[in-house]
Amino acid sequence: MGTVYVTQIDAFIGKIDERLTVKAEQKTILDIPLIKIEGIVVLGRATISPAVVNELLDRHICLTFLTQSGRYLGRLEPEVTKNIFVRKAQWQAVGESQPAIHLVRGFVRGKLKNYRHSLLRTQREHPDIDLNNNITRLENAIAPIEKTNNIDSLRGLEGAGSAAYFGCFQQLIKTSEFQFEARRRRPPTDPVNALLSFGYSLLRHDVQSALNIVGFDPYLGYLHVERYGRPSLALDLMEEFRPLIVDAVVLSLINKRSLTLTDFTTEPLSGAVSLTKEGLHTFLRAYEQKKQSNFKHPVMGNKCTYQEAFEIQARLLSKYLMNEIEKYPPLILK
Amino acid sequence: MNQTEYIYIAALNQYAYCPHRCWRMFCAGEFTDNQYTIEGTSLHDRVHTTSDVQRGETWQIRAIWLKSEQYKLIGKSDLIEAESGQVYPVEYKRGRKGEWDNDELQVCAQALCLEEMTGQPVTTGYIYYAHSHQRQLVEINQELRQSAIATIESVTNLLETGAMPKPVYSKRCQGCSLYSQCLPKATDKVKSYQEVY
Repeated sequence: MGTVYVTQIDAFIGKIDERLTVKAEQKTILDIPLIKIEGIVVLGRATISPAVVNELLDRHICLTFLTQSGRYLGRLEPEVTKNIFVRKAQWQAVGESQPAIHLVRGFVRGKLKNYRHSLLRTQREHPDIDLNNNITRLENAIAPIEKTNNIDSLRGLEGAGSAAYFGCFQQLIKTSEFQFEARRRRPPTDPVNALLSFGYSLLRHDVQSALNIVGFDPYLGYLHVERYGRPSLALDLMEEFRPLIVDAVVLSLINKRSLTLTDFTTEPLSGAVSLTKEGLHTFLRAYEQKKQSNFKHPVMGNKCTYQEAFEIQARLLSKYLMNEIEKYPPLILK
Repeated sequence: MNQTEYIYIAALNQYAYCPHRCWRMFCAGEFTDNQYTIEGTSLHDRVHTTSDVQRGETWQIRAIWLKSEQYKLIGKSDLIEAESGQVYPVEYKRGRKGEWDNDELQVCAQALCLEEMTGQPVTTGYIYYAHSHQRQLVEINQELRQSAIATIESVTNLLETGAMPKPVYSKRCQGCSLYSQCLPKATDKVKSYQEVY
């Protein structure tokens, strides 16, 4: 068990002894031991008993509120850890410092290399489609990273690499039902973009929780600094995970036809697309399953889940900033 | 040196076990329970209810605060016994005699506090191992005193500077409840890691 998602409108979240219970329409829909819960995400409206609030704070379980469509509203957070040393190191590296440049290189390299592996794998499995041009463009964005010494230019490489990847994303979709032209956000106006946006929103919550556990201030980042009030470090650290988790889940649900067009609704006028209740459940199940799947951590060499990997990467990030390790190794999986 | 800050007697034991763990617990404020610490805590819960009884010739006082102004030490004792005017500390431990015998340090630190509090020399103490129900005598000799005082200095210095001792991997890491926070092997693993293209 990891994160509990509460999607029922007007659900009641309570507790009995050491167990969390979720009730909706006079029925108990969930009853699990608190010890198994790492986070709670509420989509839409729910009532939470005061006893649960105390318990969550006490156990350092994060409670996040999203709108029905997955837009982030806010969170209930326990006291930040007392580990002031991590935050001190984080603040000291701010700006165009050598450690900040090193980390931004790592975040960008991690994401683009994972993009590249994803395209190479698709190319291998489907010789009928030609992704060579986009793979080359990606490689051209990856190659100069190590020699680039300012963060703005690194942002440019990240943009170029992402454009190359999303430029052929349509070819990764194996069903004619879904079309993808380009990344469209706020609001997403087609099903594929709606899934990506929703997935990234969940991922952000998970990465932010890991950063909090390790002792970071999630609002101070290195790659993402353009706007205050955004959890920049969470956005930084989630870059390498985007293709590994969210893109993989979205493509698998679409290509296996676990989701069809009937799982989406479109708002009038704005054209904003979102998941229906059933579609939402399908997506959350798949996302949670992906997070709990195992792989061998390429640096540490032990088996871990993606859920655990968020924290491992956050720990490696803190160790780099505190001079315990000589480089930050982004999570790159072949 | 800041004269108002005391150090916990328990920190000495942690420092002797691993300076990095001591830093994590007492500087960075991190603590995670594992089976050993939970067993230890429930054992101490039984012990840590203040009381005093007369058992035959022995007066037993449980769970009182010990303090030393000279060494800036503070901590809770498990048990203090007094027999024919002689006081001595008894420290409770889970399991058998530890492989990392840092428990003597704690007993010695308690003895230093007792000497200051009672004005009498304390030459012995005991460690009671819950697993084997046996008491082991600890001689508060010159050598142990020196070693305790040296550790007190190291911990005082650690708490004042907050400088993190680097984690060093050894066999003792396997039983440590802070292993996944510390990841002691990370430095070498990262050094030898070759990132794929």
